Amino acid sequence: MTDDRGDANTPWGAVRANNSETVAQEPEVFVDYFDGETPTPRRVELRFEGVFLSLTPSEGTPVRWHLADLRRVPDQAGGTEKAGVVLALIDGSPQRLYIPASQPHLADAIAFASPAKSAPPPVPGMRNRLLGLSLAAVASVALILFVLIPVMADQLARFLPPDGEKALGDVTFEQIRVALDQDGGQGLRICERPAGQEALEKMTQRLAKHTSFPYPLKVHVLEYETLNAFALPGGHVVLFSGLIDAAETPEEVAAVLAHEMGHVAARDPARGALRSAGSIGVLGLVFGDFAGGTVALFLANQLIEASYSQAVETQADVYATDLMVQAGLPPEALGVFFQRLRDLHGDQEGLVQHFSTHPALGDRVQAAAEAGRLSGAQAQSPVLSGREWQELRRICP
Amino acid sequence: MSLPLKTEFLGDRSALFSFGLKLSIFTVLTLGIYCFWMKTRLRRWYWSAIRPGGHPLEYTGEALEKLLGFLIAVVFLSFYIGVFNLILMFFSFTLLNDNFAAYAISFIAVIPILFFAQYRARRYILARTRWRGIRFGLEPAAWRYSAFAIFMWVFTIISLGALWPLMTFQLERFRTNRTWFGTARLTQGGKWYRLFPPALPAMLGLWATLALGIYGATQEYPAAIGGMLLTVPLTAVGWVHYKVAAFRYLTSQKQIGDMVALSSTPRTPRVLGIYLLGGLAISMILSAVSAIVVTAVVSVFFAAGGAESLEEMSPWLTIPLGLLGYFAIFVFWDVLMQVFIRLPLLEHYSETLEIEDPHALTRFAQRARDESVDAGGFAEALDVGAAI
Repeated sequence: MTDDRGDANTPWGAVRANNSETVAQEPEVFVDYFDGETPTPRRVELRFEGVFLSLTPSEGTPVRWHLADLRRVPDQAGGTEKAGVVLALIDGSPQRLYIPASQPHLADAIAFASPAKSAPPPVPGMRNRLLGLSLAAVASVALILFVLIPVMADQLARFLPPDGEKALGDVTFEQIRVALDQDGGQGLRICERPAGQEALEKMTQRLAKHTSFPYPLKVHVLEYETLNAFALPGGHVVLFSGLIDAAETPEEVAAVLAHEMGHVAARDPARGALRSAGSIGVLGLVFGDFAGGTVALFLANQLIEASYSQAVETQADVYATDLMVQAGLPPEALGVFFQRLRDLHGDQEGLVQHFSTHPALGDRVQAAAEAGRLSGAQAQSPVLSGREWQELRRICP
Repeated sequence: MSLPLKTEFLGDRSALFSFGLKLSIFTVLTLGIYCFWMKTRLRRWYWSAIRPGGHPLEYTGEALEKLLGFLIAVVFLSFYIGVFNLILMFFSFTLLNDNFAAYAISFIAVIPILFFAQYRARRYILARTRWRGIRFGLEPAAWRYSAFAIFMWVFTIISLGALWPLMTFQLERFRTNRTWFGTARLTQGGKWYRLFPPALPAMLGLWATLALGIYGATQEYPAAIGGMLLTVPLTAVGWVHYKVAAFRYLTSQKQIGDMVALSSTPRTPRVLGIYLLGGLAISMILSAVSAIVVTAVVSVFFAAGGAESLEEMSPWLTIPLGLLGYFAIFVFWDVLMQVFIRLPLLEHYSETLEIEDPHALTRFAQRARDESVDAGGFAEALDVGAAI
């Protein structure tokens, strides 16, 4: 330590260096000092000398610390009243001075002499490095999540053999069935009352005639109130019983079925399943650290799925209207059904819409109605007879 | 011959509770970013509570370096876990028409990284720990440790746990013999089979549980389940006893620089008591607090929103409040764990630790700073880090 700084501004005003009168009035105080070189405690006599703190061992050279260079080691258990104060230098040197609590007036004086210095020593360049690395990290994770994994999933899904895709679908179907069962039992009940099954088969065949899938199309009805339908890998299509209950004509159900067949034709479910296999692990890493994180994980995955699917949904709508026309069914049934959804639940705008996988319903109603007008197709024959429609509605016994 | 140095402990519960709660609230409010600062400040506090010979340990790690290390680890692991799982899933279904192989391989492939991360985290923590101004250190050997740990685990599993003491001893020796205090290397002495007697109750409990489980499942003999009600607690108590006894033996067999010996005398009944009373206190406080909070939140909801059921409420209100409540419970639970379990355990283990022949410490000197780039980031990302 050198004297070249001379006078210093301390909280109680300018203090003249080497004020010998002050020194003379201080009582003799001995504390433990560690030089940062060896673990040997040295008893040193502690004195304020103007802007310096001087540490004088019984033998060896004295050390002087400028008051402006002092910092207190923060977050000490026991607090100053039990543990005393640990003093260090702001340059990060390992020297330490332990002032025990039995010297309260001294600890206070020293705390006063070095206010607002409990922050750890700054590591040079840390902040810039941190900013650069944070940006790089966020960019890389986003790249992996939104580009690399989707692109790889799309490519790999093309090479997934039909048998493999079917197996993937079988496993996923069971997982979803169990996951949605709120009673935590065997999974949602599969509705397969024979007469209803027959009607469903007739409807499926009417549409499937005009398609060629590498695996048989398998349509399931699950007993579940929610108004929803979805496709899984390997030609599985799932209708919830809530959807059949809400539909007023069999053509509406057929239109939804045609929409899901659009997903099957585009192999969207296989892509989605592979994507989530990759992205779930990554999201778990990013959010898993914070307080359990299950909810964050779930919400984030929902968000991603929705952003994957907007364009894909519109494509499936186009496919569905074409298929309905080919099968001699009214394509506007899709629009009618969407309108019904809208009446029931209102258009999902705002926060919740963001988490939904479907584009705003209004656009789709319009598109489907448009397609109906353009084709001018008249229903050649209804998709189900009145009696068959009643059987389908009672497929869950 | 100098007197042994005793270890004082200066942490008290109410200080830790208010400190931990304050830090946890910051963490919730910053959506988790503050957790690196929380961990740093809690470690500083815990370390300073342990005072061998009256001089506190000091933790000199920093939050920024932890955030940095976490980011590095996340990038590396995102690539590894994301791409690897995707490819695994693809081949598993292409070749085997099943996903079991993918899950199994995915799990197995992460195991080496878990041990790697644990060793790296230990290296970081030791590199940022000082006593009497002198740094501790751990030599870089994370991949070797990972391979060795897997090797020992395979032996232990094949032996149905009979070789657990061998694993405990060998892994502790691997870590200890690479640990330094300044210029002095720590060495692990003792014999592995001395850990066998304290492991016996846990082993017998485990085997009895396994036997009853298999017998009960195959013979459909329901009384076997009743037997497990006896053997499972026996295994748990035996396990605690083993952990305490192994720590006592292994610590007392350690030497610093072949000159300074340690002695440790923690007692099983005391540790068991901490777990039981602490668990009781935590469950009582947590259920009382949740009851009060749920009642308050629900009544405020209905009073303010005028809604008649949860479904009618605006998602703008329910989703953030739900998330906040969910995190608050986890965070509060963690603070209680610190106050009622971790602090008393640390207190007991500290107060029963002595340093023999401290005069020899004067021969040791400072070691250079270890930059330890990832700052325990892999352990943070994989959630295998130390509890504090």
